[in-house]
Amino acid sequence: MAGSYYFYIFSNMAIFVALATLLHLQFGRTGIVNFGVVGFFGLGMYGFGVFLIQLNIPYFIALLMAVALTGVISFLLGLVILKLDSQEVLVATLAFATIIADLVVVQKGVTKGVIGLGSVPFPIQAGLYSQHVFFIVVLIIAALLIMYAKKLEQSPYGRLLISIQDSELLSQSLGKKTFREKLIFFTITSAAMGLLGALYAANVHFLVPRLLGPGTTFTIWIALIIGGRKKVFGGLLGVLVTVGIFDFLVETYVPIPTGQAQLLPVIKMMVYGLTLLLVLMFKPSGLLGTSKKTTK
Amino acid sequence: MSFITDSLILGVIQAAPLVLAAAGFTMIFYLNGFINVAYAESITMGAYFAIIFNTMLHVNFYVAIIPSALLSGVASVITYLLVFRPAFKRGVSSTEMIILSVGLSFFIRYAIQLIFGGLLYSFEVASPASVQILGIGITTIQMTAILLVAAIVIGLYFFIYRTNYGQMMRGLANNEELAMASGINPVRVSILIWFIAGVLGGLSGVFYGVFSFVNPSIGWSLILIIIMITIVGGIGNVKGALIASLLAGVVIAGVTLLVTPIYGEIILLVVFIIVLRFKQVRRVI
Repeated sequence: MAGSYYFYIFSNMAIFVALATLLHLQFGRTGIVNFGVVGFFGLGMYGFGVFLIQLNIPYFIALLMAVALTGVISFLLGLVILKLDSQEVLVATLAFATIIADLVVVQKGVTKGVIGLGSVPFPIQAGLYSQHVFFIVVLIIAALLIMYAKKLEQSPYGRLLISIQDSELLSQSLGKKTFREKLIFFTITSAAMGLLGALYAANVHFLVPRLLGPGTTFTIWIALIIGGRKKVFGGLLGVLVTVGIFDFLVETYVPIPTGQAQLLPVIKMMVYGLTLLLVLMFKPSGLLGTSKKTTK
Repeated sequence: MSFITDSLILGVIQAAPLVLAAAGFTMIFYLNGFINVAYAESITMGAYFAIIFNTMLHVNFYVAIIPSALLSGVASVITYLLVFRPAFKRGVSSTEMIILSVGLSFFIRYAIQLIFGGLLYSFEVASPASVQILGIGITTIQMTAILLVAAIVIGLYFFIYRTNYGQMMRGLANNEELAMASGINPVRVSILIWFIAGVLGGLSGVFYGVFSFVNPSIGWSLILIIIMITIVGGIGNVKGALIASLLAGVVIAGVTLLVTPIYGEIILLVVFIIVLRFKQVRRVI
């Protein structure tokens, strides 16, 4: 089917936009330096895959269970790490993502390891149009998240989160239970990353440990930083200029000589790395940011 | 008995590259106060420089170690002068510095992959003789590595705590303005520290490579453990980092003997997250 390639890429982009928006909520709003995005994403992805395929649990129950599992693990992790300073949170979440990726490789009996787990069908079966329906579903989720982020910007709860980021101590002195608020917010947003992971499983159909590499976290981060971490539309813009340019425009329209095709992902990561470096040095607030950054 | 001695000996061998890298990483953290993820690439570059000398120019492995380590030091200084120093001057915060260093790390790693491909390289070393120690066969390369690491660690300790430059480094790390007022040239001392750290990283990469193989992600696969060791050992505390890296080596070796190797890493990381929670990290020493 001709449209299937486009809709595959578009669905992935919508999922990445949603992830980057969640990272905006965690990092840009609340100051939680989550460098293990792929850990939560991967937990949802493999949790769903294992529940659905290995345990034969009905589709939507398996989906809910995967999200709940990610939520519970996020809550426990949050309990341990959310009191740490931001450098330590960064390392701890990175360690968490590594643990998840290691477990997926080593627990072959459950995850089928490098052989791969499959195949995960689309959530809504609509014959030839399953993929189109799926794209609309993930698009709606991404749009809802952006709308929520926009609404949060003006709400008292949103201001509480900003105050936690700017000065947690000051916020506490005003009687706010900052740790509890952070923990709840972290649990919900991380569980949402798990949901996106489960949906991603349906889009790729076949789960292999390679999907849990650090490249995913890195891509989300670079997208958000380029777009503007404190901006609601930062994630959207960032994903369009990173994943949009490389995974869609370049791969679709640039004639790449056969034999050189395997170099493209390598060059992509080099360009990502260099861009991230340059943005942080010369325009740390991102494309949408106006002034120089103010918080730590 | 044999399980304990096996883990101890294998652990010390396995820890040799970790000790070097942890010491170098700690020095940069001590001086500049941020987690330099791009340090992973000092390790990788050291290994690839040695691969160039050893397998492409056919230089003897033991001779190839020296220029490889020095070049890795030079590369480390270049990243400092070209990226990190300008970033400091622009007022990039420490959390942003980590993310920036991740960007640099990806850039260098994939540049290496572009040049060398994703293949595994091995060193050309004459099949080594082995010595029996407490019932375990240890190759001459492993012996060399351990002796060299011991010598370097003693030298480093002497450098940091007994020499003028070591004093300058500690002064600069504790209070930059005061250090400058006392006539310490911060750029010169920083360049020296980044050079030494790069050399240590390069050596670490060479030894890691000779014990197993070389590919573009060896540095990345080690850096998380190194960061962990450094934090658990007390950030900026070179003594602590050395002890923690030996412990980590022994733990990994012990777990590896019991179950599959990857569990060693998983257990270590879980312990690390928990230790972080209960440890009050000293930031300035």
